[in-house]
Amino acid sequence: MTLEALSRKIQAGERLGFEDGVALFAHRDVMALGQLANEVRERLHGDRTYFNRNMRLEVTNVCVASCLFCSFAKLEEGAPGAHTMKLEEAWRELEARMDDPPAEIHIVNGLHPGLPFSYYEELLAGFKRIKPDVVLKCFTAVEIHFFARHYGMTYVEVLERLRRAGLDSLPGGGAEIFHPEVRQRIASDKATADEYLEVHRVAHRLGMRTNATMLYGHVETFEHRVDHLLRLRSLQDETGGLLAFIPLAFHPDGNGMKNLPAPTAIDALRTIAVSRLLLDNVAHVKAYWVSMTPEVAQIALRFGADDIDGTIVHETIYRAAGSRSPRGLTVAELVRLIQEAGRVPVERDTLYQVVREHPRAWVSEAALKVRERKANKHLEVL
Amino acid sequence: MSETRARPLRAAAVGYLNARPLCEGLDREPASGRMRVDCASPTEVARRVAEDEADFALMPVAAAASVGDLRIVRGCAIGSAGAVRSILIVGDRAIDSLDELSVDLSSRTSVVLARLVLRARRAGREPRLIGCSPREAIESVRGGRGALVIGDPALEIDGRFPHVVDLGLAWWEWTGLPFVFAAWCGRAGSVSAEDEQLLEAAKRAGLVRRNAFADEHAARTGLAPAILRGYLHQAIRYDLGDDERRGLERFYEEAARAALLPKARVRFFDEDRRSPVSPPSLDTLLARGADGERLSAAEGERLLAQASLFDLGLAADAVRRRKHPDGVVTYIVDRNVNYTNVCTTSCRFCAFYRPPGHAEGYVLSRAELGAKLAEVVDAGGVQILLQGGLNPDLRIAWYEELFRWIKREYKLGLHALSPEEILHIARLERMSVSGVLERLHQAGLDSVPGGGAEILVDRVRRTIAKAKCTSDEWLGVMRVAHHMGLRSSATMMYGTVDTPRDRVLHLIKIRDLQDETRGFTAFFCWDFQHERGTRIEPGDHGTVLYLRQQAIARLLLDNVDHVGASWVTQGPEVGQVALRFGADDFGSVMFEENVVSSAGTTFCMNAEAMERRIRAAGFKAARRNVRYEWLTHPS
Repeated sequence: MTLEALSRKIQAGERLGFEDGVALFAHRDVMALGQLANEVRERLHGDRTYFNRNMRLEVTNVCVASCLFCSFAKLEEGAPGAHTMKLEEAWRELEARMDDPPAEIHIVNGLHPGLPFSYYEELLAGFKRIKPDVVLKCFTAVEIHFFARHYGMTYVEVLERLRRAGLDSLPGGGAEIFHPEVRQRIASDKATADEYLEVHRVAHRLGMRTNATMLYGHVETFEHRVDHLLRLRSLQDETGGLLAFIPLAFHPDGNGMKNLPAPTAIDALRTIAVSRLLLDNVAHVKAYWVSMTPEVAQIALRFGADDIDGTIVHETIYRAAGSRSPRGLTVAELVRLIQEAGRVPVERDTLYQVVREHPRAWVSEAALKVRERKANKHLEVL
Repeated sequence: MSETRARPLRAAAVGYLNARPLCEGLDREPASGRMRVDCASPTEVARRVAEDEADFALMPVAAAASVGDLRIVRGCAIGSAGAVRSILIVGDRAIDSLDELSVDLSSRTSVVLARLVLRARRAGREPRLIGCSPREAIESVRGGRGALVIGDPALEIDGRFPHVVDLGLAWWEWTGLPFVFAAWCGRAGSVSAEDEQLLEAAKRAGLVRRNAFADEHAARTGLAPAILRGYLHQAIRYDLGDDERRGLERFYEEAARAALLPKARVRFFDEDRRSPVSPPSLDTLLARGADGERLSAAEGERLLAQASLFDLGLAADAVRRRKHPDGVVTYIVDRNVNYTNVCTTSCRFCAFYRPPGHAEGYVLSRAELGAKLAEVVDAGGVQILLQGGLNPDLRIAWYEELFRWIKREYKLGLHALSPEEILHIARLERMSVSGVLERLHQAGLDSVPGGGAEILVDRVRRTIAKAKCTSDEWLGVMRVAHHMGLRSSATMMYGTVDTPRDRVLHLIKIRDLQDETRGFTAFFCWDFQHERGTRIEPGDHGTVLYLRQQAIARLLLDNVDHVGASWVTQGPEVGQVALRFGADDFGSVMFEENVVSSAGTTFCMNAEAMERRIRAAGFKAARRNVRYEWLTHPS
């Protein structure tokens, strides 16, 4: 199908199919894709662009899974670089930031075989004791699945117990690529696609909202990407519980696929754009700046993304894989990044409720006039 | 009802004899209370309006079209209907058979008129243009080289050359219309009805004093009073009515068709007062830019402020495709060598330099340089980019020896010494710029890098780099280099105190020089590299702005072949995206670059990664040399 035909379909609000998705990914002109996705994004959100005050934390990198793409996990406790935080150590991360506290803590870990389940319950409860209104977005579906297996519980039991301890929402990590042709090669010993989706389904049924991701740019094909997105779209049709979709670019340093090149910025923008077009039932598409670099994330805000993630504070997973993005950004930096894209920065909470809307700044006529006046004033001084 | 103004209008007028009748009495009450008129050269007058240092000016109509979206005072102009006497093409042989034409650059309108007339008479062919001063122009005439002579030298040229074409007469014969050379122009709203009455009164007073002006001028210059009286009475006409308007419209039409000027429309101030004008839509402007039509500064500014990122990108991409339909993106394997960091300029945006005598100052030794150059040769490199600070200890002989040594030992292309360094050597050696360039050229200099252009608006330059050369000096070095057969790149560093208007005017200045010399091979821009990670800086920044700015450059620089993506400053990721915003070159595989990395930006990319990114952006990749000739088969 030609891009014009696809464009007509999109403008008419028709749902795109598998072949359409593949055709979009394969289309040479990323500008045309971006423009289409941008129209959809502006129809949904106008210029509003979301970010939040969050803090990333990885309390353990000990992991029984051996994913090819991972430069973060260390297989066993005691291995060089393996580290598991003591609870007090983890809580201190929040206590140390109470003068400008995060609104959300985002925790993703390795699948640690030796910790008691109570470790996780106490971890969450401790954060809530320090800051009762902090939102806890913790543990990927892969971890929840691991907990269920490891501690002999159902998904519902795991989620209910964690919820009682303070869990609010699940992050989207661990999705990688759903299709078994790829998943068996790169992530054979953790939750399958169906298990990942089932955890989210159960979480949604319990009233939790979650995110979903896709790790792209390694050994997968465009067909695998489209398959992945459509599986998420079906889940969303069923539950409506997904808040945001976040494409994650594969980074090759120090992992089992280090001979592969990282996907380029053009691929990152293409993936954002096609995700926006295919996921017609997911409200938000996120340009995760840690994965894309803040610079490319800024461009992505014009290629379909309406969220740029948050302050993060100190990320370690991408850093281990060679990302040269900074470890954290301040609110002022995020606001400026968004403004420079000509968008309106909106600080949000986990559920995309507006905390504060910032002014649009950059190319407005008014701003130009101020500049001109300044320039002229400068001239008179000279 | 008369409005009150905080300050008198800043006005400027060309300081030629033929302008005096329009300015009579403007320096006295009542006019002097409302406007202050400075006299200056045509280029300077136009610059002041463009850079908002004058509210309106008696300025050449070609410059008015370049600035764009200006209004004109009805009724007053400097024009002709038939022979003008002061704008001539002269030659030893028939004008239609000239190969080269020396042109006086102070009058762009005359140059454009000359080119149109010559093209019309010679079935589209025109001689090669060489810019020079009025005196040089006349002296250069011999054989196939003629000259465009303007002003006083033209008035006294009678009988010196066997072949003379009066451009006023040529225009009249071609179109049957009057020609307008200059008129009072300004941005919309800058001149009120009362101001126009004052200008009209000045003209009435001036016309009756024409003999007095002629005689004064004769006494000062030694020209014959009768010639000057005749010139002001019979040759020059001061009206701007319907016929003159048609003449001006025809001129703008022909010049736009020849892509010598942006498409300009004639709009009087009084028309604005009667009915508002609607500017062409953004889509129209983008389509015109994409089709290769020339855009004015005002149009560029409007697109920069208002067009969407995609519309700009797609239009720039269309220009790139038209200029380079093969879908090839080039890159060069070279090395940036900073031979010294000792510098006397203390630019505020520079983290690289050390003042003379500083403990961290260095000059690379032959051994250090040799090691670097050997690596370039080993890596298949074809040139080095040699730049450094303005080091008062290094004399021209040092450079000559260095260049000869590099050429002899390593046979690398020498893309060396930005205009600032050339000027520095000229000052140090008390030599002319052309003298310095000739010696360096002899010693092996192949091309001149376009660094140090920053923003070619002096208000900006004075703020960020007080000790650096002026815009005119920078452009002047490039002019000399180009005429010597050297090629150069052009650059822009924005994001300090510059406004969007400054950035557009920078592009127009490069375009104007390129019209004359055709010596710029490529344009690169980047934003001021403050320390990375901290986003607190004085000016406009951001990746999206970079892409917009590069796209605008591709649209405005219709006469520059190549636009390069500056991945060294923007990062390989953004550099790749920039290839879809009008760039057809990915710059160089750099071994090192000290100036930008001193400010915290460090990126590396090898040839393989470069080609992979080029292909992933949908292009074929080819290595090039400094003249943008392919060295590998695109793949």
